[in-house]
Amino acid sequence: MNFPLTPSDISLWIAVTAIILLVTSELMGSYSDYFGDFVIEKTRLRLVALILGAAFMVTVVLRIVMP
Amino acid sequence: MKSSENREKPNKNNNESEKKQEPVTIQYLMKTLQQLQSEHEVLKREMVKSRRIPSGRIGFAFLVIGGATLAGSVVTSSSILAFIGLGLTFWGALFLFARPVRFVKSSLLDSTALSTYTTVDRIVSDLGYKAKSIYIPPYPKEAYLPEYMKGLKEMIVFIPAEDSATMPTLEEMAKKQFLLKNPKGICITPPGFGLSSVIENELRARIPQIARALTTERLFESLPRVMTSNLELAKNFEIKPENEVTHVRITGSVYSNLYSREQGLKSVHFLGCPLASAIACILAKATGKLITIAKDNVSYDLQTIDVWYQTLEA
Repeated sequence: MNFPLTPSDISLWIAVTAIILLVTSELMGSYSDYFGDFVIEKTRLRLVALILGAAFMVTVVLRIVMP
Repeated sequence: MKSSENREKPNKNNNESEKKQEPVTIQYLMKTLQQLQSEHEVLKREMVKSRRIPSGRIGFAFLVIGGATLAGSVVTSSSILAFIGLGLTFWGALFLFARPVRFVKSSLLDSTALSTYTTVDRIVSDLGYKAKSIYIPPYPKEAYLPEYMKGLKEMIVFIPAEDSATMPTLEEMAKKQFLLKNPKGICITPPGFGLSSVIENELRARIPQIARALTTERLFESLPRVMTSNLELAKNFEIKPENEVTHVRITGSVYSNLYSREQGLKSVHFLGCPLASAIACILAKATGKLITIAKDNVSYDLQTIDVWYQTLEA
């Protein structure tokens, strides 16, 4: 009955998700003509993407400090 | 005689055949009409579906399934299930978080603003005034003014009776009068006043320097981003200072339909649409000078609106 993922697994998952979200939010910001009709809070999406990116960086720092 | 009989015969035949064809044509038309109506209904339903605001059901479904999968992964110690559960839970939460609170169709915005412009059109044509507007900057809210002068803290737009009219005195403006006698004209609240407050709040929230002081340089830098990315009032927004004139180009404005020929509004050109009017209000506040809409130009497809604001000396 243990959680099957290790911290490195979670770090990898955060990295992949952060990349997907960052690319999406960046594309939405740059190509507003194509994504203009998307009914979504773009600022919140960007915020989540940045938070996940920062979370990944934190996991990297933790692995350097405490290998 | 024979020849005339011969001529009549084909005519009769033609009429008979036409009479026979008529019910067939009507039947065919009726069938086509029914078919088109049913197609129209189907298309209408599809359009309503596509325009519907996401209800959040997908988000909730993802959250529930993700949570169950995560619990299952703990029980079975399966890392694959854990990844799937994490992903579903995260995307479910994201869908709920990034869901828009409320969206209003831009056509509704036009219809709400229409009555204001129609009223101004009627007033101006009835009084026979020249189509010109002067945006008068208000006193800052923090500034101390005696009770009888507090009307000066409100943003107003002055529509003079003549082109070469002088400006109303402070006392007259402070009285909050609608009809002014010397100089002749009317004072109204700008149609973009409410919108200008929203834009200013957004500017102050995003740019800390503007919160301290609203200057033209900072305004020209940050206004395009606020208009396009933050408030999404236009697809593209350019603002350029040209000596005493400020040129603004708005592409894909939410208020562009107000400029259509079908509406036939005159006041929208000299007062500006709510967006153009809001910019005039902000410019007047930032410069502390009188602002007038010197000229405007709207593209044939209503997608691009050019407005030239002129700064006047009081």
